[in-house]
Amino acid sequence: MTSPASFTDSRPSTPRSRPTYLRSSTIKSSSSSGSLNSLFAAASLRSNPNRTLDDDAKALICRSFVPHIAVHVSADTDELAREKGFASFKEMIRPYGDDLQGRLTIRDSAGISNTYDDFGVRFVGLQEVAMAGEKWETGMTAWANGKEEKETGAWVGGNVDEVEELCELLIERAEGEQIQQVGYLQYLRRLLSALPVSPHETFSHPVACVIAISSRNTNPIESLRNLYQSGNQVQLPGYVSTDYLRYYVLVHDEDRDDIGKSTALFDQMKRHFGLSCHLLRLRSGGKTAITDDDAVVVPTPTWRSASEELSSIAQKDSEESSPLCLPETDASGIAVMVREMTQMSIVPFMERCIATWNDQVASRRRGISGRFLTMSKRYFGGSSNRNSTISASNYDPVSQSYPPTSPEAQMRKLADFAFMLRDWKLAHSTYDLLKTDFNNDKAWKYHAAAHEMTATSLLLTPTPLSTKARQEIIEPTIDVACYSYISRCSATYSALRCLLISVELLRLRGGGAADDAARWAVRARDTHGLGRTSHALITERVGDCYAQRKGTGNLNIGSRKRKAAMWKILAANEWATAGKPGRARMCLEDALPVYQGTEFGDVERFIGGLRRTVGMGGEEADEAEELDGGKGNRKSLVASMGEGEDVLKEEGGGDFVES
Amino acid sequence: MTFYFAIIGTKDNPIYETEFGTSKQGGDGHARFPDEQRPMNQFILHSALDIVEEVQWVQKELYLKTVDRFNNLLVSCFLTAGNIKFLLLHDSKAEDPIRQFFADVHEAYVKTLMNPFYEVDMRITSTVFDSKVRAAAKKYL
Repeated sequence: MTSPASFTDSRPSTPRSRPTYLRSSTIKSSSSSGSLNSLFAAASLRSNPNRTLDDDAKALICRSFVPHIAVHVSADTDELAREKGFASFKEMIRPYGDDLQGRLTIRDSAGISNTYDDFGVRFVGLQEVAMAGEKWETGMTAWANGKEEKETGAWVGGNVDEVEELCELLIERAEGEQIQQVGYLQYLRRLLSALPVSPHETFSHPVACVIAISSRNTNPIESLRNLYQSGNQVQLPGYVSTDYLRYYVLVHDEDRDDIGKSTALFDQMKRHFGLSCHLLRLRSGGKTAITDDDAVVVPTPTWRSASEELSSIAQKDSEESSPLCLPETDASGIAVMVREMTQMSIVPFMERCIATWNDQVASRRRGISGRFLTMSKRYFGGSSNRNSTISASNYDPVSQSYPPTSPEAQMRKLADFAFMLRDWKLAHSTYDLLKTDFNNDKAWKYHAAAHEMTATSLLLTPTPLSTKARQEIIEPTIDVACYSYISRCSATYSALRCLLISVELLRLRGGGAADDAARWAVRARDTHGLGRTSHALITERVGDCYAQRKGTGNLNIGSRKRKAAMWKILAANEWATAGKPGRARMCLEDALPVYQGTEFGDVERFIGGLRRTVGMGGEEADEAEELDGGKGNRKSLVASMGEGEDVLKEEGGGDFVES
Repeated sequence: MTFYFAIIGTKDNPIYETEFGTSKQGGDGHARFPDEQRPMNQFILHSALDIVEEVQWVQKELYLKTVDRFNNLLVSCFLTAGNIKFLLLHDSKAEDPIRQFFADVHEAYVKTLMNPFYEVDMRITSTVFDSKVRAAAKKYL
C-alpha cells in the first residue's frame, strides 16, 4: 500500500491543475522580490504536469468520459467529514477518484483483458444529479437558473461562457510570468469537466451509488435501509435509469468507536450485500494541519466545472486558507476504497450490463432480422402506425427523451458504458446502429450525439485510418453532428465539444489528418458566440495542428510550417488586442523564424507593429539582423522594417540576387 | 471582385506584386481591399506556398488551379518551369479566365527573363511588364 503522495511522484502521467492554485496564492503575495520565488515554484510544478498534458490529449479525452458515481450518505457521515474540514463526505473522497491507484483490468466484449493505469471515476452528489438535470440546455446563453443553482451547491459544467471567464482569469494571472501556465489543453479539460446530466448521453448518469453510514450511528441497519429508500425517492430526471449499482460503505471512526463492534456490523453488512460493501477506517478528530506528522495534502479535484473553480479562486483570494490535509492512513484508506470499489464492483457491474444489453438488445438489431425490423419500420411504419404498437416510436417529443427502459435508451447506455470502459469497437458499432434510429424518430439531439460519438470512437480505435475513410466516414459524421447540434438544437456547447475533441484526435493521427484537424479547428473558431479568449486559444490551436504536420524527404514536401506560422501570427494579434502581451509574445516566438528576412513588405510591417505592441522591440530586431548579417543587402532590409518597400524600389537592381 | 497577384521567386521572395479589381460587369479595375486586409493577403499567399509545394509534385499541368482557400478567399497558382510561382488571390471561382490571365503573364515573364540584365529571383521593376500584366487582367478578369 503506497501513500498517495509517493504514488503521484512515481507516476508522472498524472496531470494536476494544482499549479494554478498554488500560483494564485503566490500572486497575492508576490512583490518584486517574491516573483522570482514564485517563478521557480511554478516552474518546478510545471515540469511534470504540462509535458504530459501536451503529449496526451488522447488520455485527457479518455479520462473525461468516466463512470460517475453518486454519493448518498447519512448525516453522521457528513458530520465526520465536516469535522475534518471538508464540506461533505463526497468532497472528501472526490479527489481520490480522479486517478485510481495502480492498474485496472477491464475485459472487453471479445473477452480480452486490457489494463489501464489512468482510469478514474467521478463522485457526484445524488441530490446534485437530480437538480442538475437539463437545466443547462443550450450552454451559452440560456443559463437562467445559474445563480440559483450555485447557491444550492450543484456545479454543472457545459457552459462555454464560464470556461471562457475562467481561462481569461488564469491567463491574466499568468501574464506576469514568462511561462505558459494555461495551455489549450487546460481549456479543453475545463470544457469537458462536469458533463451536464442530459437525456441524449448517459456519461453523467450515475453508474453506481455509494451509500455510507458511520460507526457513530446508533441504528446502523435501520439507517442503511432509510438511505436506500430515500435514495430511490430522490427525484432523478425521468430519463435517468435508476438501475444503478448500490455500494455500501461503513465509515469507522478509529478514535471514538470500538473496532470490534464495527467489524461485527460490517460482517453483517457483507452477509446482506455481498461483495459491494467496504469498511473505511478513518481517524476522527478535527482538521489535520500540514505541520502534523504524516499529514498529506489532499489533491485538488482535477475535473471541477469552471464555475466551481472560479468560485474557489475567488474564495482563495479573499482569505488565506491552508490546503486541506488528511492523515496518511486516512488518505491511503480512501484511495484503497475507491480502487477496490471500482475494480471489484463497478467495472464488473458495467461489464455485466454490457454483456446483457449486447445480448438482449443490440444483437437482435445487428442480425438480419434486426435490419428487416428497422426497414419495415421505416417503410411501413407510417401506414401501420395507428394500429400497431410495435412500430410506434419510443421517443417522447414533449420531454425530448426516450424512457430509460426503451431499447434505444438501453443501447445508448450500452454504447456509453463500452465507451467508458474503452471498448471502442463495440461502442462504435453500437453508435453506428443508433444513428439511423434517432434519425427516423427525428430525435435530433440524440441523433447529433450519436454521430459525435461515432466519429470519436472511430478516431479512438487504434487501427490506422485511410484517407478515404477520413473523407467518407469521419468528415460527414462530424459535419452532421455539428449541423444537428447547432441548427436543430442550438446546442452550441455540445457542438464545440464535438469539434474540439475531433480536432485533438485527428491532430494526433498526424499526416493528412492534421490538415483535417486544422480545418475543423477553423470551423470551431467560427462558432457563433465564442468569447475573445476561446477564440484566440482556438486560433492558436489551428497553428498547432498545422505544425503537427511534418514534411517528408529532403525538401520537406508537405510540411505546413508557413500555415502554422500564419495562424500563430493571427493568434498573436488576437492576444495583443485582448491585452495579453505575454501570451502574444509566445505565439510570435513560434512564428518569427518563418518570417525572418521575408521580403513581403506588408507582412514585415505587420509583424513589426505587433512586436512593438507586445514589447518585443529592440534587441530582438538586432538579433534578427545579426542572424541575417551574412546575406549582405538583406540586412538593410530587415533593419529598415518600416520602409521595406522603399528600399526595394530604390535598390531594385541586382542587389537582391543571392549569389 | 478584387484580386491580389504576386510572383514568388524560388526563395519565397516576392518578385512582383500588384492588386487590381475586376473590369467585367462595369468594374473600373481598381482594387478595393480595406487597409487591414493588405497584410492578410500576403500572409495568405505566403501560407499557400505550403500547399503549392505539395501539389506541384502530383499535378502534371503548370496551372495548378485553386490550391488553397482562406475563409472565402481562394488562391490559384501557376508554376513556371523554373519554379517561379504565380499566385492569384481571388474571391470567386473562375478557372478559365484565370488560366488565360496566367498564360499572358507567363509570356511576359519569359520575355523579362530573356533580358540579359535580369537574373532569376530579381525583383521585376519594368513598367512594360507591369502594363502587360494590367492589360491581361483587364482583358480576362
